Amino acid sequence: MAEPILEVRGLVKHYPLTTGILFKKQVGAVKAVDGVDFHLDRGETLGIVGESGCGKSTVAKMLVNLERPTAGEIRYKGEDITRLSGRALKAVRRNIQMVFQDPYTSLNPRMTVGDIIGEAYEIHPEAAPKGDRRARVRELLDVVGLNPEYINRYPHQFSGGQRQRIGIARGLALRPEIIVADEPVSALDVSVQAQVINLMGRLQDEFDLSYLFIAHDLSIVRHISDRVGVMYLGRIVETGRDAEIYDHPTHPYTQALLSAVPVPDPEARERRERIILTGDVPSPTNIPSGCRFRTRCWKARERCALEVPALAVPAEFRYARGPAAHDSACHFAEEKRVVPPAEEGAGPVQGPSPGEGPFAEGEGPSAGGPGASEGEEPGTVGPRRRGAHREDGEGGADGG
Amino acid sequence: MLLEVRDLHVEFRTRDGVAKAVNGVSYGVDAGETLAVLGESGSGKSVTAQTIMGILDTPPGKVTGGQILFEGRDLLTLKEEERRKVRGAGMAMIFQDALSSLNPVLTVGDQLGEMFTVHRGMSRKDARAKAVELMDRVRIPGARERVRQYPHQFSGGMRQRIMIAMAIALEPRLVIADEPTTALDVTVQAQVMDLLAELRREYRMGLILITHDLGVVADVADRIAVMYAGRIVETAPVHDIYKAPAHPYTRGLLDSIPRLDQKGRQLYAIKGLPPSLTRIPPGCAFHPRCPMARDVCRTDVPPLYEVTDAPSERGSACHFWRECLHG
Ligand SMILES: Nc1ncnc2c1ncn2[C@@H]1O[C@H](COP(=O)(O)OP(=O)(O)OP(=O)(O)O)[C@@H](O)[C@H]1O
Ligand SMILES: Nc1ncnc2c1ncn2[C@@H]1O[C@H](COP(=O)(O)OP(=O)(O)OP(=O)(O)O)[C@@H](O)[C@H]1O
Ligand code: SF4
Ligand code: SF4
Ligand SMILES: [Mg+2]
Ligand SMILES: [Mg+2]
Repeated sequence: MAEPILEVRGLVKHYPLTTGILFKKQVGAVKAVDGVDFHLDRGETLGIVGESGCGKSTVAKMLVNLERPTAGEIRYKGEDITRLSGRALKAVRRNIQMVFQDPYTSLNPRMTVGDIIGEAYEIHPEAAPKGDRRARVRELLDVVGLNPEYINRYPHQFSGGQRQRIGIARGLALRPEIIVADEPVSALDVSVQAQVINLMGRLQDEFDLSYLFIAHDLSIVRHISDRVGVMYLGRIVETGRDAEIYDHPTHPYTQALLSAVPVPDPEARERRERIILTGDVPSPTNIPSGCRFRTRCWKARERCALEVPALAVPAEFRYARGPAAHDSACHFAEEKRVVPPAEEGAGPVQGPSPGEGPFAEGEGPSAGGPGASEGEEPGTVGPRRRGAHREDGEGGADGG
Repeated sequence: MLLEVRDLHVEFRTRDGVAKAVNGVSYGVDAGETLAVLGESGSGKSVTAQTIMGILDTPPGKVTGGQILFEGRDLLTLKEEERRKVRGAGMAMIFQDALSSLNPVLTVGDQLGEMFTVHRGMSRKDARAKAVELMDRVRIPGARERVRQYPHQFSGGMRQRIMIAMAIALEPRLVIADEPTTALDVTVQAQVMDLLAELRREYRMGLILITHDLGVVADVADRIAVMYAGRIVETAPVHDIYKAPAHPYTRGLLDSIPRLDQKGRQLYAIKGLPPSLTRIPPGCAFHPRCPMARDVCRTDVPPLYEVTDAPSERGSACHFWRECLHG
């Protein structure tokens, strides 16, 4: 396989905790990110999910150089950019851009939309000659589905969804290869969310972008991602292709997280098993020894307090080629399906469903593209009962 | 019916003119039943709830019409004192943001206890014991010690549970929960929703759950009322609506959400934006965004038609509900 466009190894961000006013003394650290590894391929979307405070935004900020890592490497096309400075760093930064969560506060209210999007050209004048910049901005507005005539308007004259489009246009201004999107649709209403997500999908195909897509909404992440990483307390605890994580999770935290997501299908109420976690997430200043999930894990044993589980394919799945064979940081990894497979014909069908009357056409150009229907493992077609997928789950785990 | 809202109208005077936040809302909830009120931001969900609870800001808000029948009595025509008594003992509300609705300078025990000293005339000591009991009830570990702590010393999920404890303290017959879990993580959300459902069963409370999350609705509701631009556009039992919506807006919403159990590339997106409440489109308020709109939709406001083809009691405010239901 070709070299990944981005590779992160052992990434750490600790914020010192100090006391004293005159003489600062470090008494500890907020371990916001505590050893994160992942890679991102060209044209691919890696989704990062996890609950509030697990370190998602801190990872994003380090990737775009808004925070300096305490340790670790961020390799862009093989080169560690944490060691770069000056012109070399600036050149790399052009290629990694960020889209922020909050369309209300991330845009300067006193600047026009044209100035907000064009600002990047002030910092990187080589990206567009001065005379071309207005035209470039108009083109970008058009690309994200906004009227180019709006170039002189101010952010407050736009709705939330429109502001998020402005944020995306700003992210695209320098024609980056990678977009780090931190909760780009979390603040938006459902109907508007769909517009922005479709837009991001279309832009990815059009410009061959790689996305690091951060969100706490697991349904949206599944929708948009090729691969997914699940974070807990500063680390990735499980990672794999979307169907591996959603249909064959092996880490208890992922299983609990998935089982808690409400599914918009009342028929699924009875079919679903809920894992209700007890207790709260520990403070990142005081991370439990061994496995950091053990204080909430219903499977924890003595070994979990003593040994840190590595993020690797667990031994019991290593020789089985099934979908359970993906990286999971658990000593006692077991496959457990918690999201019941979609029932055929349950509810209004979504996605490309030709001949569905007025609801067939979505917004923007056609669907498809890479990964349109992958994730369909053999044997998930047709209505099935609880017993059926139980068996299936075990089937994937044989050899263990 | 425990609570029945009939043709409620609420307006706000704003600089841009009169904002019609609620334009003829009707819904009802029975004892022991959960009604989910679903709608996008600004559709009037909270204003309706505030009007029921009697906590609407007046001015700028003004109730311009309708009835709110609680156990058969119209709260809007009762004398102020009477109304306060009915509400105080009969209904309670849970807000989205627990931190800002709890008093930061009082201990949790004092705030819970106050419910009993003020409304039940209990002694401070008895009220304190009641507070501990309630905290146990909403599963806060170490209630006896933690009753002396302040709101900021609890996690978000625990604060929300304390809000729930306050709401159920006087065993109300109706609880309105306005986005009770929107600010919480999914695992915590699951804990809180679980607790609410259990309490509702135990006390046979009527529950109005306000939310914009179609997943939460599918999980807990018996009936749904979908709001758009200050009106109920569709109401139905939860199973029916997910199977076959009878209003194009509901259908659009259902089609636009990504699913946990399926991977897809293209979502259906409702075109355009919700209207400004100072300039609600004539006819059907949804017509500028509706893929099924015809001439009549631009002129005639659709009433909440009875959906007669359905086995259960359903309503849709669409001239062409039959087409939508079977299409
Ligand atoms: N500048 C800082 N100083 C000290 N601690 C910080 C700082 N920034 C973040 N943290 C802490 O680091 C942890 C991770 O924060 P981060 O914002 O990355 O979480 P997140 O996963 O993005 O959460 P959310 O879903 O709420 O956005 C949190 O405990 C946070 O309080
Ligand atoms: N105190 C107020 N003064 C003026 N306008 C108000 C006031 N309270 C609410 N409104 C307006 O009434 C409309 C309906 O608001 P409401 O809070 O009921 O919406 P909602 O459906 O609860 O939305 P959300 O999902 O964002 O909570 C909004 O357009 C809002 O701006
Ligand atoms: S290593 Fe132990 S505590 Fe950690 S997730 Fe696995 S079983 Fe649970
Ligand atoms: S009344 Fe007309 S515009 Fe309104 S929802 Fe029905 S078809 Fe659409
Ligand atoms: Mg964040
Ligand atoms: Mg509201």
